[in-house]
Amino acid sequence: MRRFEFLGRFSRNRGALVGACLILVVALMAVLASVFFPTDPLRIVGQPELWPGEDPEFPLGTDSLGRDILAMIVHGARATLLIGLFASAVATLIGVGVGATAGYFGGWIDEIAMRAAELFQTIPNLIFVLTIVVILGSTLTNIVIAIGIVSWTPIARMTRAEFLSLRDREFVQACRSMGMGDFKIIVAEILPNALPPVIVLSSLVVAGAILFESAVSFLGLGDPNVASWGRLVGDGRQLIRSSWYICAIPGVAIMITVLCLNLVGDGLNDALNPKLRDR
Amino acid sequence: MAAPPLEVQDLRTTLFTRRGEMKAVDGLSLSVGAGETVALVGESGCGKSLSALSIMRLLPDPPARIVGGAVKLNGRDVIALPEDGMLDIRGREIGMIFQDPMSSLNPVATVEKQIVEVLMTHTELGRGQARARAHELLELVGMPDAARRLDAYPHQLSGGMCQRVVIAMAIACSPSVLIADEPTTALDVTVQAQVLALLKKLQADSGMAMIFITHDLGVVAETADRVVVMYAGRKVEEATVDDLFEAPLHPYTAGLIGATPTPGAERAARLADIPGMVPPLNALPQGCAFAPRCPRAMERCRTERPTLTAPAPGCLVACFAAEAG
Repeated sequence: MRRFEFLGRFSRNRGALVGACLILVVALMAVLASVFFPTDPLRIVGQPELWPGEDPEFPLGTDSLGRDILAMIVHGARATLLIGLFASAVATLIGVGVGATAGYFGGWIDEIAMRAAELFQTIPNLIFVLTIVVILGSTLTNIVIAIGIVSWTPIARMTRAEFLSLRDREFVQACRSMGMGDFKIIVAEILPNALPPVIVLSSLVVAGAILFESAVSFLGLGDPNVASWGRLVGDGRQLIRSSWYICAIPGVAIMITVLCLNLVGDGLNDALNPKLRDR
Repeated sequence: MAAPPLEVQDLRTTLFTRRGEMKAVDGLSLSVGAGETVALVGESGCGKSLSALSIMRLLPDPPARIVGGAVKLNGRDVIALPEDGMLDIRGREIGMIFQDPMSSLNPVATVEKQIVEVLMTHTELGRGQARARAHELLELVGMPDAARRLDAYPHQLSGGMCQRVVIAMAIACSPSVLIADEPTTALDVTVQAQVLALLKKLQADSGMAMIFITHDLGVVAETADRVVVMYAGRKVEEATVDDLFEAPLHPYTAGLIGATPTPGAERAARLADIPGMVPPLNALPQGCAFAPRCPRAMERCRTERPTLTAPAPGCLVACFAAEAG
């Protein structure tokens, strides 16, 4: 019954619905990549620098080495989405952990946690990601971790704010009066109440993470074994003045995906955030 | 004779604020026997709720802290217990019901889940057994259509039904002491009566000791065996419920009773009120805290603080005027 309500509210936002459908297409592409293009997408298959439409065998053309751009886009969807999801998961885990602890306990724990968050926020995000990747090395895992480390602060602040307003509510007091421990109260009682805005923010962090990864890859610091969309843009960078489509196609893919993720986030906000409900 | 389930001795709770230390509970002693109901009465700000929270060790710290006294639960002093030990006691030996049932329940969890959580905190029951027990508990507290209500969320229930769920949770582990902090204030009068009857019935079945915090003297007359009247953090009078209503000793108690409308009394007569307000805790007068508002205040009341005396067995009063007779 509740789930039904949620879907109804979500789909009332047209943009969110379109976004969700497109994300679904991208996700399908990612899942079925090996079905459509069973061979390694980084293999050279044709003449280099074929423009889209020039050869019906390669509908989106080939890059400077003669690799099929469509195959690379489809396979890249997998890498890009995974990076986005895992980075967001890392950020959410850190953010909710820190924010919940800070908001629930308050006092000096809160002070320390929030000062730490501010410290992270003062460092320009992209430079921070690049620094971590350069220090740890350009593997997929390290990039995910680096993006997670950079992106947790807004989630922590949001979670903390929710916990601050929830921790003094009577039902929390009631739980204490029934002998529940702090951990149980945080996880089982307050967190479910605090989660809706956090979910919205996490969905936006996915979009942000994709952009970060693209930037890192564009600068040539991405994982060399993974053909993410950012890497494709980066690879095409030298030819941007003659064969600009090599950059543009993965660029458009990134743009559409990020836009759709933002639309979905917006829709989730409408569906989950009680303060904006029925406006 | 066995020790009473709850014995509070000289409990002192102080609020440490920027404007100084305020003695919110100042030397409160009371004891509640098995199956007995003691009402804690007083105006807002008299320290009733803080006394209850002190007993539960649930004070917001900072600013409030227990600075002295003992709270003996079934003979064991819980003031000195570490927080871990207290977790084990809350809900199992002592339960509490709060004022607003609607906000005492987690808005995003079903009734069943909330009761099951409590059961699983304190008992070894498996999830399936806990569910069955939750159903039993709902029937025990007279929830209409209990089986169906298990899956309901709090917002789908009425205030009275919510309070039944809260009561079910509080008694889930059969505590020997139950503190009810204005459990009926937020409810309709008709529902109030039902909830009071329910609490009485549960107490008769289990023999638990009950502390009933209220400012509604009608509720007191209906439920309590003994009454403790508090003013500005101190106990000013204690008596059995019959004695209290028949012959209140403290002028404050008399004022409270006088300020309660009685059916049948002449309409035209204005309700007697107690002039003034409860003094702020950081600006208590030197003598008796009630002296500035007291119709019987004497010179001595303004300079010297009266202590509790027992003019007759079973009752206590802190008032020079009452002593003088």
